[in-house]
Amino acid sequence: MNSGTAKWQRNVFIASFILPTLVFFGIFTIYPVVQGLYYSFFEWSGMSEHKTFIGFDNFKDMFHDPIIWRAIGNDYFLVAGKVVGIMVIATFFAVALTRFGFKMAGFFRSIFFIPNVISVVVIGVLWNFIYNPQIGFLNAFLSLFTKDQVTIAWLGFTSHTIWMLLPPAIWAGIGFYMILLIAAIQSIPASYYEAANLEGAGQWKQFRNITIPLVWEQIKVSVLNIMMTTLNGSFVIVWIMTQGGPDNSTQVMGSYLYQMAFRQYHFGYGASIGFVILVLSLITTIVLQRLMRHETVEMS
Amino acid sequence: MNIGIRNPVVKLIFYAILIVWGVSVLYPLLWTLLDALKNNEQFFFNAPWSLPKFPLLWENFSYVWQKYNFNTYFFNSIVVTAGSTFLGLLLSATTAYVLARYKFRGSNSLYLLYISSMMIPFVLALIPLFFLMNSMHLINTKLGLIVVYASSVLAFGIFVLVGFFKSLPKELEEAAIVDGASYYGTFFKVMLPLSQPGLITIAIINVLNIWNEYIVGTILVNDPSQYTLPVEIGIMQAEMQYRTEWGPLFAALFFTIVPVLILYIFFQRQIASGITAGAVK
Repeated sequence: MNSGTAKWQRNVFIASFILPTLVFFGIFTIYPVVQGLYYSFFEWSGMSEHKTFIGFDNFKDMFHDPIIWRAIGNDYFLVAGKVVGIMVIATFFAVALTRFGFKMAGFFRSIFFIPNVISVVVIGVLWNFIYNPQIGFLNAFLSLFTKDQVTIAWLGFTSHTIWMLLPPAIWAGIGFYMILLIAAIQSIPASYYEAANLEGAGQWKQFRNITIPLVWEQIKVSVLNIMMTTLNGSFVIVWIMTQGGPDNSTQVMGSYLYQMAFRQYHFGYGASIGFVILVLSLITTIVLQRLMRHETVEMS
Repeated sequence: MNIGIRNPVVKLIFYAILIVWGVSVLYPLLWTLLDALKNNEQFFFNAPWSLPKFPLLWENFSYVWQKYNFNTYFFNSIVVTAGSTFLGLLLSATTAYVLARYKFRGSNSLYLLYISSMMIPFVLALIPLFFLMNSMHLINTKLGLIVVYASSVLAFGIFVLVGFFKSLPKELEEAAIVDGASYYGTFFKVMLPLSQPGLITIAIINVLNIWNEYIVGTILVNDPSQYTLPVEIGIMQAEMQYRTEWGPLFAALFFTIVPVLILYIFFQRQIASGITAGAVK
């Protein structure tokens, strides 16, 4: 009897700590995600309760929608650009601030993270000023070297404007991954480097043979994280800087989802774009994991 | 020990790179402050890097604060950020504690459910979330933002805190139970105070993310009296096409940046440890 109450008390305690969270999470995260998948099989203007089940028609429509293809292309362009740009620079900084014995390494580390605490919205607005044709930084700087005032509309090219979104995205992303890699490098036993020094291995050799293999796990996590956050969140910088324009040339999947659903009231189509984002990010995760696993085997 | 770069030229180049990048991250902050003190004329006729002319237009700040209602947005942002951080922390700490310390049927799958949800792109939930909140009459309310944000930070909190609770010695709880403390007493009086470093780390990371959040804020709020700061910044900059008030725009950016910057200065270490903890998936 006594052990029965004890068990009962224990179960009540567990339930009272588990269930509120689970119910809350179920309502505000799981349910919307599942609904999102469900809506993608409907045509729905959002205004009425009336949804029409259309099976895979939204997805079929996508095949004939040039904008979605451009959006997917832009997304992967940003993923590739950010992975290369961020990883190269962040790795360089992480190594420079731990292995090179620079004075003030701590100071640099602190300030390099600053862009990561600032809202992407603010970053977008600041970079809009850099690119502004009349009063922008870039044109004013270029004008120093030319006779006439430079008035290039950096965000108004009919193609390749997406390139202009890469510098802010890379600039804003470095600090986070640098901190991650610094922690990983610092956890490498100093004796490894000492042994390498005794054998006369220079910085480059130490980097290739000790640092990279031993932080490979973090590099992998970083690459996957950049990919996920880009497919999921590049929407914000695009929306603030170009609104997907000019002429939908900088649209990414997230911004196109937003535009389709909340501007043009094609909620079903918008939801099916969300479905595509999910599928693509899962596929890309698997592919990247395969690719990078191969590397590890080669290293060890 | 012999670490560092031996070649002085290479060393100099590396230093230069660090300094250039350092300037590129610090200068925008200074630039935001300086441009907040200019009038439109100075934007159009002087170089962007020129210093503001005297008299400095400090009134841009009070103008944005009052005329653009930044007092309201600032207040909204604080309420939403504080509310959702607290709620998220409470909900994740309780579940994380039980998952770390008690085995029960389904405990592993529950943990996996939370962890794997971090792999799901949140944009997928945006459309249903809008209709869900609409049917619950939570559109255009701070409460609506609070519950959505709190829910969005649960998985990360549970993930980090389960690890944290597991690292705490079991003896302390056992002693508390021997002393006659209830399950709840043990959690609230012993475990929660002990896990303060972990809680603070998560709270700081969540505060930064929620304070800066834009997408959910834009979708769930279209009543100006309920805007958060990033939402208003987005709208303000779109309006600049026909209403040029560059100085006030920079003052607005300033109001948005300063709180997180102060937080960062005080909690750098916690932020760094939060990043490292969160990434060891």
